[in-house]
Amino acid sequence: MAPKPHRVLLDRVSGYADEAAAYMRRRRAARRPFARLYYAGGRSHDHAEDGAAGAELFAAAGGLIEVAGKGRS
Amino acid sequence: MAQTTTTVSQEARARDTVGIFAEMPDAATREVVSGDAAAAALAFLTEMSPDLRGAAILTAEGEVLAASGDQPERWAEDAAALLAIADRAGDEPVEQVHVATEQGEVFALRNAGLAAVAVTNRYALASLLFFDLRATLLDLARGGPEAV
Repeated sequence: MAPKPHRVLLDRVSGYADEAAAYMRRRRAARRPFARLYYAGGRSHDHAEDGAAGAELFAAAGGLIEVAGKGRS
Repeated sequence: MAQTTTTVSQEARARDTVGIFAEMPDAATREVVSGDAAAAALAFLTEMSPDLRGAAILTAEGEVLAASGDQPERWAEDAAALLAIADRAGDEPVEQVHVATEQGEVFALRNAGLAAVAVTNRYALASLLFFDLRATLLDLARGGPEAV
């Protein structure tokens, strides 16, 4: 017997939610610190944390994070 | 349909670029944005973005229009430093900066003749935050928080 239509829809939605949750878990596990600059026209460039510009960017970002504090609880 | 040549607009832009914050890729704002409007826009942005720890909205000259917390001068100094370093790192002024660290993430954006800097928790969705920052600046430049 074919499943009820609403059951098919619910299964599909929960499948999408599972996929999204898995994506977020993989992203958290794989992500490393980075500094990325975007230019007009959509061009972007990554700077390594141990590079000259990268180290400066991380230091400046650290200052801003300190100013912002812990933020909202 | 008559069109303005890119060369002309680039020359006009070059004449107006003074200082770090004036190097706006989309320097369209020439109207004065009030501190109250910026504060309202910042409050709306904070309400809209649950990951946001703090943010600041600045003029093209680097003056803070609104900032979270009670250290607007620190926001101005640190935002200027970040954008200056980012500009030096490449051969043209940056439009957006995203630095993700273990302690949090920093986003900076120049748009519509204004600049915004935001600090978020880790793993904030960059595309959403940049979209919100851009929309906030654009609406501010167009006339105020009622449009945000």
